[in-house]
Amino acid sequence: MSLRHLRAIVRKEVQHIMRDRATLILVLVTPTAMLFLMAFALAVDIKHVPIAVLDYDRTPTSRSLIRRVTEGNDLDLYTEVGSLDEVNRLLVGGDVKAAMVIGAAFEDDLMSLRGMPLQVVIDGTEPKTGGFVVERVGGQAEAFVGEVLARQIQVHGVSLDSLQPIDLRVRALYNPALKPRVDMVPGLISMVLGFPALSVALTLAHEREHGTLEQVLVTPVGRVEFLLGKMIPYVIVGLVNVIVIPMVARATFHIPFNGSFPLFFLLSALFLFAILGVGMVVGVFTRTQPAALALSFLVIFFPGFFLTGIFFPIVSMPEVMRVESLGMPGTHYAVITRGLFLTGVGLDVLWPYAIMLVGLCVGFTAIAVFFFRKKLG
Amino acid sequence: MADTVPIIETHALTRDFKATRAVDSLELSIWPGELFGLVGPDGAGKTTTLRLLAGLLDITSGGAELAGYDLARQAEKIKRKIGYMAQRFSLYSELSVVENLSFFAELYDVDPSVLQERTEQLLAFADLTEFRSRRAAHLSGGMQKKLALACTLIHRPQILLLDEPTTGVDPVSRREFWDILGNLHLEGTTIVVSTPYMDEADRCSRVGLMYEGRMIVCADPQSIRAQIQGELIELHTEDWQMASAFVETLPGVLEVQIYGESLHVFVDSADERLPAIEAAFRDQGLVLREARRATARMEEAFISLVTRLDTARRLEKET
Ligand SMILES: Nc1ncnc2c1ncn2[C@@H]1O[C@H](COP(=O)(O)OP(=O)(O)OP(=O)(O)O)[C@@H](O)[C@H]1O
Ligand SMILES: [Mg+2]
Repeated sequence: MSLRHLRAIVRKEVQHIMRDRATLILVLVTPTAMLFLMAFALAVDIKHVPIAVLDYDRTPTSRSLIRRVTEGNDLDLYTEVGSLDEVNRLLVGGDVKAAMVIGAAFEDDLMSLRGMPLQVVIDGTEPKTGGFVVERVGGQAEAFVGEVLARQIQVHGVSLDSLQPIDLRVRALYNPALKPRVDMVPGLISMVLGFPALSVALTLAHEREHGTLEQVLVTPVGRVEFLLGKMIPYVIVGLVNVIVIPMVARATFHIPFNGSFPLFFLLSALFLFAILGVGMVVGVFTRTQPAALALSFLVIFFPGFFLTGIFFPIVSMPEVMRVESLGMPGTHYAVITRGLFLTGVGLDVLWPYAIMLVGLCVGFTAIAVFFFRKKLG
Repeated sequence: MADTVPIIETHALTRDFKATRAVDSLELSIWPGELFGLVGPDGAGKTTTLRLLAGLLDITSGGAELAGYDLARQAEKIKRKIGYMAQRFSLYSELSVVENLSFFAELYDVDPSVLQERTEQLLAFADLTEFRSRRAAHLSGGMQKKLALACTLIHRPQILLLDEPTTGVDPVSRREFWDILGNLHLEGTTIVVSTPYMDEADRCSRVGLMYEGRMIVCADPQSIRAQIQGELIELHTEDWQMASAFVETLPGVLEVQIYGESLHVFVDSADERLPAIEAAFRDQGLVLREARRATARMEEAFISLVTRLDTARRLEKET
């Protein structure tokens, strides 16, 4: 391998990136912009959902349940109504997303341990919001019932300690509020860093289309020199993104960064090499830019979306896809970013993922080099 | 030349693209210092031949040697000896003139100590010194071609393979480009150049005519012109379709070639037939704007050769 050849290719590619505005935007601006867009579009935190309340009971117990359910940030009491017809009207008009209906014998039934006549009416056209309301009302009601019953037992002279009631509380570590965005943004980074990989695939196709490749292929430049020389500049611009993104994530989404930044930087470089290797393979197997674009979506962005576990947990995937996801650099990098941003773990925990990335780096680059021939057609 | 060996030699060199045989059993010997012109109609196989020689395409069968190396096995060694300029040569448009030159210099491992001097030489020789910092994208077509040539010369190749280097360039730039090639030829560089322009073929020391993948003639320009049968008369008419059909029926006419509005008519004797043709047109009531004797160029020679070949093939098929 000739360092002189490598340097010449790197310099030429850097000059191309810096002077071609479209490429510059694609590799420097798009990743951060896409991160914003996806974080806003895909991970909207559900908050302040307006609900109506229909209280047939009107007792102190039912009043305190209402207060309990609507006091937090999740559900807002839009209005109290007197009949189910009114509930319907409000739901159809979109004023409320759901309604809580408290049965007439709510207090009586509860105190005599007969159950709890409580109903949640939701808008089936918005199942996600509806589900959220059911879950919140259910959770609050359960806690409320527990407290009421405990008080009843105490009143009847049984000591609480001897009862040892089961108190199951879920505590979400590292993301106490279980905000989806906090969980997603670190995972999304692996996706948006696919853009440098896309451009490396496009640049190879671009050179093929414009005939500059033909002119390079008749020189004595080596295949490794050529492909590596093309990848290195994109790794560098990728790393610029790697520095910018955590700052942006902290400033706009209040995503913490708990791990070691140098480690993040290093592992990101590894990831970039691996995903650029995928981009190179795409470039080697396609002849035109549209083809390279289409294939990039198929092998870089699509698997990044579905296989890397950012949106769909890997454990719930069929076996084939689980194996396939191991071959995606994003799978391992998503674990790394989540670990470094949220839990703040170190290499002692992340090393298996780092090793996988090294393997994929070498693997994909080798495939690209192997199939890249210094021939046309 | 008898005691030297060819610098390029092909043996039954063949290349297929799926159903097309683009280059068919090519036997070609080019001697050191030749300026060899490759001509032929579109799709004749000129580009494929040059790409094969440059090591850019796999050989289907046959073989070739360039500068003493075997093309199939030692293509990378050959690459250091040749300069190749593609038909659709593209420079890196975001790089400046000098940046393009030094990029190729590095890939060809040009000694850094001579690089500066050679760059200046090539800039002067391509008349680009004052445009050295201009981006390639902002050069005129003619300047781009000259820069492209300079890039292929940066490593002082023994062999130059140029694929239609002057297509799409204005006549003045074409003349300049050929003056440069003439100088390189004088310096002893072996040049193989494909061209659609017959006047360019005339400047070559030897010309090969390709047709449907085969080399049908390979000789110096004078001998090729000598293969033309008869003498040439040029006719300018109003209605070339009717005129050509008519003139073909006249006695002594050997061949008619159509060039837009004008007809090139080959006859056994121009002195005798020119007045006869003029008289015949008058009798027929056909307008004849001009009729004059002309000297046959390479172009007529090639068209004549190709037509004869086509006719011979058709007859062969029919029997
Ligand atoms: N990459 C390719 N794939 C398929 N067929 C090809 C390819 N390159 C050339 N051909 C075919 O091979 C034949 C010879 O083409 P070639 O480009 O060598 O001709 P040419 O003499 O250079 O023509 P032109 O004057 O148009 O440049 C043509 O029929 C062409 O269609
Ligand atoms: Mg051609």
